[in-house]
Amino acid sequence: MKKIAVFGDPRMALEALSKFDKETCSMIYAAQNRHDAELIAERGFAAEAIDFRDDSALHALGIGVDVDYLFCFFVADSDNVFLTISARALDKSLNIIATVDDPDSSDKLLAAGANKIIDPYEISGRKTYEMLTKPEITHILDQSVHRRHALNIAEIEIPENSWLENCKTSTLRLNERHNLILLGVVDKEIGDQLHFAVGDKEHVLNAGDVLVVMGPAREIKAFKETLIGDDDV
Amino acid sequence: MLTRLLVYLAYFLKTSARYQSTKHFFRRLLVIPQSQPKAYFDVFMLVMVIISVFLQIDKVSHQPPQWQLVFEDCIVALFIIEYLLRAWIHNDNHQIILDHYERSEYLSIPVKLHKVFKTIAAKKIEYALSPLALIDLLAILPSYRPLRFLRVFLIFRLFKLFRYINSIKLFTQILFNKRFELYTLGVFLGLLLFIGSIAIFLFENPDNGGDVHDLFDAFYLAVVTMSTVGYGDIAPQTAGGRLVVMGLIFTGLGVLSFFTSIIVSAFTDKVNDLKENRVYAELQRHEGIVIICGFGRVGMHVARQLADHQQPFVIIDKLERHIEDASRLGYLTIQGDASNNDVLSLAGINRNASAILCTTGDDVSNVYITLTSRQLNADIRIISRAYRHDNVRKLYQAGADNVIEPFEIAGMVAAEYVGQPVAFGAIAGIMHEEKEFVLDTVRAHPGSAIIGKKIAEIDFDHSKLMLIGVISTDPPHLKQNESYQMQDRHFYFNPKHAFEVQEGDLLVVMGKRIGIDYFRYQLEKSRFKIGKKR
Repeated sequence: MKKIAVFGDPRMALEALSKFDKETCSMIYAAQNRHDAELIAERGFAAEAIDFRDDSALHALGIGVDVDYLFCFFVADSDNVFLTISARALDKSLNIIATVDDPDSSDKLLAAGANKIIDPYEISGRKTYEMLTKPEITHILDQSVHRRHALNIAEIEIPENSWLENCKTSTLRLNERHNLILLGVVDKEIGDQLHFAVGDKEHVLNAGDVLVVMGPAREIKAFKETLIGDDDV
Repeated sequence: MLTRLLVYLAYFLKTSARYQSTKHFFRRLLVIPQSQPKAYFDVFMLVMVIISVFLQIDKVSHQPPQWQLVFEDCIVALFIIEYLLRAWIHNDNHQIILDHYERSEYLSIPVKLHKVFKTIAAKKIEYALSPLALIDLLAILPSYRPLRFLRVFLIFRLFKLFRYINSIKLFTQILFNKRFELYTLGVFLGLLLFIGSIAIFLFENPDNGGDVHDLFDAFYLAVVTMSTVGYGDIAPQTAGGRLVVMGLIFTGLGVLSFFTSIIVSAFTDKVNDLKENRVYAELQRHEGIVIICGFGRVGMHVARQLADHQQPFVIIDKLERHIEDASRLGYLTIQGDASNNDVLSLAGINRNASAILCTTGDDVSNVYITLTSRQLNADIRIISRAYRHDNVRKLYQAGADNVIEPFEIAGMVAAEYVGQPVAFGAIAGIMHEEKEFVLDTVRAHPGSAIIGKKIAEIDFDHSKLMLIGVISTDPPHLKQNESYQMQDRHFYFNPKHAFEVQEGDLLVVMGKRIGIDYFRYQLEKSRFKIGKKR
């Protein structure tokens, strides 16, 4: 179970919280004030008002203890930088994802210890451009990546002793057998890069490799179950 | 009887589509600013005027060959046709007749034809007496043999350039706008020259030992002195004359400075117009323009994407600093309120724009711009930004096709880094075309070889493509296949082998850009072959 702590803007926080998988993640929203905490709690998420400037409060929340991911969604870049520095000091291996208002602050956040920077305006600009130039593709991907309808894109890690081990990607034919399309493979023998499953390049699958598939949510779930069980296809 | 005939003709002309379209064409050709035909016509006429002037210069020293005379006649004929066309499109005579007729009908009084003709004549005289029409006429008249003595007026052909060069037009407009200041200056200057000339003549006449023989010489010396040119052919000889000249030099400097400041300030006022003229001319040259309303953070990123992909766009923003930022980046800009009909019309919302992006940081402005744009053009694509989630519905109500919420999108994107970073990174890479592979749609155009074919029969492997699905509006598919709703269409994911492609279907494929282009080329080739067989 991954533990996630979310700080800052309640709108952004709510959107992120609603996207996390409740079965595999435990989430908490750390609000700046009671009003924001109540707002998020009303939507069914754990929330409490804490002062992010207080290291002991961060520690009590679980940072440096059991929190795996920290989201810094403050509007002011200075707040995000302060929280990032505080959290990094408490936990060297924490995954910190922060938003940025002024693009010039990206370097400061990275220097403070953030792993990933998100610029809402840049993403919106790109999204607007994509909607403009490839409306159909954007719609399909938007719906499936963000799981807005039954069609999903998912990562499936091949477990130990799965029937997929030692299979070649060309022999999988997931589209015919499972109504899934194999978009790509992360072949751990080669690295962490995703290799698209188009063209002639062949990959032999091993435990730990990751398949990126697209398909109906129920088919993805069923396919995952076949990997855990012993039944071959 | 004559009245009835005239009214019949007037109604006929008003309702005749051919007459109206012909007149509209000539308006676009000759009058309507920023229209494409006018731009070409102006350049053509510019060349004709310059050629005609050079031919005239050549005539001064040489006997022209026959072809040159014929060519000259052709140019003059062109000038005459242009003059008459301008007179024709200056006003609608049939409308004058109808206005009089309808007024008479309403008041139950007889139509007074002489009044109708008088109004028509007044309109045409109004045109004939306009400065540019006079120049046109004077450029034509000297070519008529009995009026050869008017040859000097051939110089008016050069003045015709005023019609065809926007910068000259703008300069005359500036002079016209500053006419009050220039008139005041002119009166002052005239008074100074008058006093100066008299004073110079009194002091510098030959009886007093000077070189000024008459009043004209005195006036000449006054002008040369005031303009600070000072040829030196006539110079003051007496102490009194020199004092007057010194006074004239100082006042001349003042007058010149005043004149310069008037012109400079007028140009400064007009500098935005000059820039906008350039922008409008540039906008005319492109198809599928994207209008970005608001050059804030989101607008800036969209503009960058469009510029990177060399797609034409224009930015409209009220704030000067935003416009300056955009201009510095070399983007086309219009400073103005994007919710103003005129501003959007000038940007091409009803001409060659394909989409409007409302990217201001204020939801109220975005709703208003969206509504204005939708009213001006029912078919244009509108994508709007929402700051508050509550306003998303309002934007859709106002007519937006898509709404973007920066903070919600950022939240969603951030969440993907926990759930499935590899998949999300890959998809983002595909969408941003940062990866080698892209996801794109290929349309089954009418006459294409894939129409009516089953999916299993289409060779995707040859182009090294992967079929993800088909987007279609075709109802029969719905009965046989599972689909996902996409507004007015359906997306058929991983279609079965027996799925038959219909006309207008969009195949969603993944592959390298080169593969997708090759696949498209094959389809186009098949359309061409099928067309030839038919």
